[in-house]
Amino acid sequence: MSAAGPPQGAHSAPSGGLGAQQMRDADVRLDRVRKTFGAVIAVNDVTLDIERGTIFSLLGPSGCGKTTTLRLIAGFEQPSAGEVYIRGKRVTSIAPYRRDFSMVFQSYALFPHLSVAENVAFGLRMRRVPRAERGAAIKEALELVKLGALADRYPRQLSGGQQQRVALARAIVVKPAVLLLDEPLGALDKMLREEMQVELRDLQQRLGITAVFVTHDQEEALTLSDRVAVMRGGVIEQIGAPREIYDRPVSEFVAGFLGASNFLDGSVVAREGAIAVVATAGGHVRVVDAAATTPVGAKVRVAVRPERVRMSGPGGEGLHGKVRSIVYRGPVTHYYMDGVGGPLLAYAQNAGAADWAVGDEVRCAWDVEGAVVVAPERA
Amino acid sequence: MKGLRNLWAWALLTPPLAAAVVLFVVPLLYLFYISLHAASPSEIYGSTLTLENYTSVLSDGFYLGIIRRTIGTAAAILALCLFIGYPVAYFVALLPTRRRMIVLLLLLFPLMVSNVVRAYGWVALLGRRGVINTGLRDLGVIDLPLDLLYNTEAVVVGLMTILLPYMVITIANTLAALDRRYEEAAQALGAGPVRTFLHVTLPLSTPGIASGMLLVFLLTLSAYVTITLLGGPRSKLLVSMVYDSVVGFQWPRAAALAFILLAIALTLTGVILAVLRPNRVQGIGR
Repeated sequence: MSAAGPPQGAHSAPSGGLGAQQMRDADVRLDRVRKTFGAVIAVNDVTLDIERGTIFSLLGPSGCGKTTTLRLIAGFEQPSAGEVYIRGKRVTSIAPYRRDFSMVFQSYALFPHLSVAENVAFGLRMRRVPRAERGAAIKEALELVKLGALADRYPRQLSGGQQQRVALARAIVVKPAVLLLDEPLGALDKMLREEMQVELRDLQQRLGITAVFVTHDQEEALTLSDRVAVMRGGVIEQIGAPREIYDRPVSEFVAGFLGASNFLDGSVVAREGAIAVVATAGGHVRVVDAAATTPVGAKVRVAVRPERVRMSGPGGEGLHGKVRSIVYRGPVTHYYMDGVGGPLLAYAQNAGAADWAVGDEVRCAWDVEGAVVVAPERA
Repeated sequence: MKGLRNLWAWALLTPPLAAAVVLFVVPLLYLFYISLHAASPSEIYGSTLTLENYTSVLSDGFYLGIIRRTIGTAAAILALCLFIGYPVAYFVALLPTRRRMIVLLLLLFPLMVSNVVRAYGWVALLGRRGVINTGLRDLGVIDLPLDLLYNTEAVVVGLMTILLPYMVITIANTLAALDRRYEEAAQALGAGPVRTFLHVTLPLSTPGIASGMLLVFLLTLSAYVTITLLGGPRSKLLVSMVYDSVVGFQWPRAAALAFILLAIALTLTGVILAVLRPNRVQGIGR
């Protein structure tokens, strides 16, 4: 994954109990921050630390509180309770313009009456950087986003992608402690968005910027982030590295929000060290449960990613399924099956291996680490 | 498809366009034609072509003084409307939509009262036997009544109170439609409240300022009742001269004065637009 990441490449530390070292390196720290609008709790006791030089994503559906959380860091919203820190300094009651951050807005909010160069110069002027030094900084920032040739244009003369780059240049030229990005790629088409994701990641790593990124696009969060917080209803459901939250979701919501999953209900019938054996309607499945949170007899829900599912003929091992429909997607084929306890879904790589046809009786199996116990949705 | 839409556009545009040409452009050209003729005792205009109507006005100290007073009065009214109107508009724009609408309606309310009535209201207040003079005399502050009426100041105050709502309403609407993200973007880049206003809010509200200024300015130039009733014979403006010339059967001179008035209006409109450059942000602020 993030092999090129600055100092802290590994994210094995648990999301709770932060060591003194991490506290010192946290560029943004929210301590039990709460924000209510009337009777609505938009952000509910959120605590998080964002390490220096990393990209942190706030991911969730609309209305989950991710944008409010970002605006609390910026100071555009005042927390109802809790504290906000930027670079170790408590900024809870400090006005936005005195906080050391800059921001890229979803709508870009480029000043229409200023040229590209003047937009980029704005932050430098406000920070009273002498005119002589501004020129070089503006040029450098515009070259970083590959817009050096468009310095004299006005925002309305630029395409969406170009405007996005200007917004980025305007934000990074002031060398902020934290760069806040509110769905910055949301208005771009898919191709451009994927291109900008790579560029953004590249730029962030070259400059070693700390960035907080709000998005509802799980792919974007997985692609860009060092760490992701999945939010719902004003609460962080899970914080972790992309792989961690994708492979080891703690709840059915997180598993479902980050991609498709098979959910199997059952009860624990035996334990074999770190492994729990769960009896489901279709048969026994084995699940990693290192924390041993599920005693024998407990009712649990098991999630299995469809790409983890291996299909074999009726003589093989695993849960029984009958192919109901097949969707060919180029690199992979999606097999929708009827299982004993409910539907099953498998993504098979199109690597020239055996194909299945509608109506085929198959067996579905997976490696034990492909299955995970999740907190079920409250019905 | 596009041709059809164009056809529709022209079909809709033609009647008002034709009306404008017949009722406005043609008479204007005719008026200009009249202004180039000598006066005649029996006809609307004489037979000799001449620039005399323009040269005599523009070389006459009396008329030049009136032109200067007209521009000065208009400038004073504009400045007062802008400096009083902008802050009011700023706070009106911050109100929630419903309350903003109520306030704007209240601002419109005085406009429903005739200018004649309003002018006499000022006369009742400022006249030699008006409320202010009587009050001050009764209090023993003054012995002789003050000359509060029939001067340029009275005209400025009278017109300003009539025209202020136009300024407030146009600016408030522009500010209310402004995307607050621009101000947040400025703050995110380190601009405090004052600099956010000067560098972002103010330039982005120039379309509203420009429309407000043009409305106030052009209505000032064409106001007659208020000027006559509050300015009296000593504080006449260019419109009054047009009227006086018409009454004196000096049709060609009246036409020439009307064109000088038009030239002033066009020139100052150009100056306002050139200084504010509202086209930079027109239609982008939302």
